[in-house]
Amino acid sequence: MEFIINYFNYIIVVIIMMIGLWGMLALSNLVKKLISMAIFQTGIILFYISMGAKIDSSIPIIKQAYDEHHHPIHQVINNADYANPLTQILMLTAIVVGVATLGLGLALTQKVYSEHKSLNEDEILESLS
Amino acid sequence: MIFGLDALSLVLILICAILALYIKDLMGSVIVFGAYSFLMCVVWTCNAAVDVAFTEAAVGAGVGTVFLVSTIYNTRRVDTYRKNRVLKQLFMFLVVCVVGSILLKTITDLPHWGDAQAPANTHVSAYFLENSIADTHVPNVVTSVLADYRGFDTMFETCVVFVAFIAIFALLRTRKIPAKDLTPPHTPVDSLIIKVASHLMIPFMQLFALYVVAHGHYSPGGGFQGGVILGASLILLAISYDFERALEYLNEKKIILFVALGVLIYAGIGVICFFLGGNFLDYSVLSKILPATDTIMARSHAMLGVEVGVALTVMVSMYGIYLCLSSNGRMDKGI
Amino acid sequence: MIILAIALIVLGLFFFFGTSIGILRLPDFYSRAHAAGKADTLSTILIILGCALFHLHQAHYDLASFHVMAKLFVIIGFVFIGSPTATHAIMDAASAAGVEHWQKKKDKK
Repeated sequence: MEFIINYFNYIIVVIIMMIGLWGMLALSNLVKKLISMAIFQTGIILFYISMGAKIDSSIPIIKQAYDEHHHPIHQVINNADYANPLTQILMLTAIVVGVATLGLGLALTQKVYSEHKSLNEDEILESLS
Repeated sequence: MIFGLDALSLVLILICAILALYIKDLMGSVIVFGAYSFLMCVVWTCNAAVDVAFTEAAVGAGVGTVFLVSTIYNTRRVDTYRKNRVLKQLFMFLVVCVVGSILLKTITDLPHWGDAQAPANTHVSAYFLENSIADTHVPNVVTSVLADYRGFDTMFETCVVFVAFIAIFALLRTRKIPAKDLTPPHTPVDSLIIKVASHLMIPFMQLFALYVVAHGHYSPGGGFQGGVILGASLILLAISYDFERALEYLNEKKIILFVALGVLIYAGIGVICFFLGGNFLDYSVLSKILPATDTIMARSHAMLGVEVGVALTVMVSMYGIYLCLSSNGRMDKGI
Repeated sequence: MIILAIALIVLGLFFFFGTSIGILRLPDFYSRAHAAGKADTLSTILIILGCALFHLHQAHYDLASFHVMAKLFVIIGFVFIGSPTATHAIMDAASAAGVEHWQKKKDKK
């Protein structure tokens, strides 16, 4: 039981990545392959976010007290109170790059469809050979 | 950090992921993918990653679903070609099981979920948490690291969005095809309710997006989230009104101008730091030209300028990608 | 005040439960969309209201919590305008595409 609570996020991450990988390899519809790619990407993002979480922590926005001149009062910041910001920043970049890649994949899919009139990988391979 | 909600959402996510690949109808698959994306946002909020959840809600569940639906609109919705792939799928399943079991064996080497002493949570990120306010006066550590400490990454990410838009534009943009050759046939639905509702919603969406960009220093937000919400408001305009009317507001020349302008603002701020004697993207030297600021506040203000550039590029990119995808490059009608 | 907040949230959950049963059991696309659109919006509004009152109570009615409550009311307004319009758009598109209405079977006795 302890094992499950400590590692539940990571187990689900591996399963989601494998679902995405199987979808990219085994399905023949081009749009489904792109959806599997997006599932794989969000699985990776979940992995990084789970690594950065801390027990009983709040979001990485520091609660700052200000004095009467609106200058921040210097205070000691306990790192265990705030979640890890570094993993979240890497994942922000990853999400935006992921949607750009998805858009480009969809544009290529539309081009392939306008040439071959089919979204099925087998049909396109047969019409090419 | 609630384990119960986290675990429940993860189980639902597994179900959604399997369903999204199982449904034969592509439209149902895309809608389940939208639900999957939204549940991911819930999980990330449980793990105290609100900025990331905000971005995924705007980008993945919002704009990404719109891109997928516009592709399905221009191609086929249901696949009618049937070839026996069971053997291939079983083989791939075995391969995936082998890879998955290798990965599962390495899970026990990872630190526990929520461990504050894990290697990922010490070293550099501890420095960022402790010194972000002292160096930059910005409480939102995610924004300060994104725009200041790791400004290079964000600049190249903006370039990636820019390049993706240019690539899609170059791939798909063609001449207008005469109406009789259009597939599928287009019957425009003119609905008063949708027009009035989007009249009400679009100005407030844009105002909220500007608030998100400007307030990114103190609350979850920043350039990307605000830019995507602005882009989504423009997409709403294109969907609820006529495609042509949305093109009148922001035509293609302006789109290409703005998408380059955003990257120019970002890199330009870095180059101005050159001329003032600092390194590239070293914002503290900007205190020499900004009136009445010291080096710390100059970093805060330059972060805002950089976020504005990012928001501009992302807004116009999302809108432009939607225009290209939904009209298949012809720019005459959309969904 | 906490009892009022909890009562609102439980009422919202009840309507959500009704929505789920409606989506599963109602016979026709249009009636399912009715259940999804109307009861969904109502339960969302009730739950957000309950959360706003709960937050007010937790923060002991200071000024910042009224600020948060105002933001939650804006969210309620947005959902109130957006969600029924989306449902209308779906049903309009279905009607234009020709999804047929459910007829009560004559020989059902």
